[in-house]
Amino acid sequence: MRLRPAEWQLALPLALAYAAFFLVPLALLILVSAFDDERLTTIGFAQWRSFLGDPFTWKVVFDTVKLGVVTVVATAVIGYPIALVFLGAGPRWQRVILFVVILPLLTSVVVRTFAWIVILGREGVINQAVLWLGLAPAPLNLLQTEPGLVIALTQIEMPLLLLPLLSVMSRMDPNLRDASAGLGASRWRTLLRVTLPLSLPGLVAGCMLVFASSTTAFISQFVIGGNRLVYLPLLIWQQSLVVYNWPLASVAALTLLISVGLGVAAIATLGRRSRAYAV
Amino acid sequence: MNRSHATRRQFLAGAATTLGALALGRHAHAAGSVTAAMYPGTWEEAYRAHVLPALKKAHDVDLEMTPLFAVDQIAKASAARGVPPFDAFVLDPGPRVTGIDRGLFEKFDPKRLPNLGKLPAGMADEWGVTVAAQVVGIGYNPKKLPRPKGWTDLLKEPWVSRLGMTGFQTTYGTVSIIEIAKQFGGSETNPEPFFVEIRKVLPKVAAIGAPASMPALFQQGQCDITYTNTQTVATLRGRGVDVEFVKPESGAVAFFTTMHIAKGSRQMENAYKYFDTVITAPVQAALMEPPNNFIPVNRDVKLSKDLPMASLDEMEKFVRHDWAKINPLRAAWIARFNKEVAK
Repeated sequence: MRLRPAEWQLALPLALAYAAFFLVPLALLILVSAFDDERLTTIGFAQWRSFLGDPFTWKVVFDTVKLGVVTVVATAVIGYPIALVFLGAGPRWQRVILFVVILPLLTSVVVRTFAWIVILGREGVINQAVLWLGLAPAPLNLLQTEPGLVIALTQIEMPLLLLPLLSVMSRMDPNLRDASAGLGASRWRTLLRVTLPLSLPGLVAGCMLVFASSTTAFISQFVIGGNRLVYLPLLIWQQSLVVYNWPLASVAALTLLISVGLGVAAIATLGRRSRAYAV
Repeated sequence: MNRSHATRRQFLAGAATTLGALALGRHAHAAGSVTAAMYPGTWEEAYRAHVLPALKKAHDVDLEMTPLFAVDQIAKASAARGVPPFDAFVLDPGPRVTGIDRGLFEKFDPKRLPNLGKLPAGMADEWGVTVAAQVVGIGYNPKKLPRPKGWTDLLKEPWVSRLGMTGFQTTYGTVSIIEIAKQFGGSETNPEPFFVEIRKVLPKVAAIGAPASMPALFQQGQCDITYTNTQTVATLRGRGVDVEFVKPESGAVAFFTTMHIAKGSRQMENAYKYFDTVITAPVQAALMEPPNNFIPVNRDVKLSKDLPMASLDEMEKFVRHDWAKINPLRAAWIARFNKEVAK
């Protein structure tokens, strides 16, 4: 696409802001990571060596990526049927569904995260229900466990999956599904061969957002996961704000950036491949 | 096309004006004001209610507060390199030592505080002045657990399976872990025995949480015993939570919160007025009352009966720590804690 001069000029303020507030800090981050000591006096790669040479780091990287993958799967499995309901609903109900989807975004993530302490806690709503129904003799341990964190993140990140998905769904031509049915395809076949491939761009975009957001969700990870579940954002916070080792914090931040970037790229590739397969 | 040009010019002009205003904004203070970093939550609310009006009344100085935890203040001031984002720090002992090491403070002259004589000896030095004390011990729910006697009880049944812990990220967490380690033969610079002991009971520990989430975890019954300070216990009680403070047999831990003038501050005079207002008896007395629950440092204030001491001098007997020794070791302890407790 060739842009006319006026168009790229209009994009200039955003490009400058992007350069000033993303590219320059990123360059600084890379620069700081190349110092050996906290006072930034000796250049070297000692921090990289100590960070990447520690098996614990790799466990944390693996756990962080795994958390992202599990959250993406959970949000997609729960979110996609909601999107299908949206697809089948009339305009008024579509507006209602959209409003309900956006609603959680109107509350601060800190408030939503602390609300999950109340829900998942020993004396929380879920445990009260479990005990009342006699499903378990003692309260279940949900807080500070990975399943508990995934449950909370699934709710917290759900709007990020649904917004791009619903936007693609609402532009889908309903005649295509009618045509598929008219040609004798079952509902499942229509779903798998028509609806799913057409909605794939929205689903892939949503999955990428959920992955990037859940792997970097420091507040939710730390407040719900506690110190027992260690993810990369916790290491960055400890190094930058508690012990002021900025080179090591930069190394951890770049490691997070690279792992999340690779994860997002993998989702995008997977999306492209499956679209080619479906069509 | 012309229209789009005009729009762009307007946009650029508007953007330039906005940036200009932002750049000027920093220096556009009223003549009589001081910008203070302030702990978010209880501190900020209490200072807004009591210090702000008192400072305005006594010296006609406006107090502007920037909510920041101690570690965030050090990080911001270090990053600002000589152009401090605020005039006054409020810090715990660990970050205070870091601030001195990094040259973030102006030299301080305690004699410029008219109320200095009301403080116990040693509460002000060449770097700053003490404005509050904190006493750390054990907080537990008396309806669910028997009263613990000392630090070692935390790692025994029935307490350990209801224990809520935090790591070395906070001052109170660090000193509590050091005290536990001491009971098993460790010291201020050697928390190793703590790690040995905690490994034996780790699966039983009810919660190992983010410091900011500990009051919520206690309130929700996720844990019923934890190391904490008197202020948190009093605040939780004010919300109707069953919690009592226990002074461990080996002694409660005391540490002081201090205020400092940021290097390069243009409001030195007002910073002194601000500090002096904070340590006056009426302000210290108001800060001690619920829901603020501060421990005062002014001798003229009659201590509340809920506090674990009858006079400020009694705090001399409380356990104290040398943060100049702790700071250099803390990074390794944090990394060790992560590895020990991570599943």
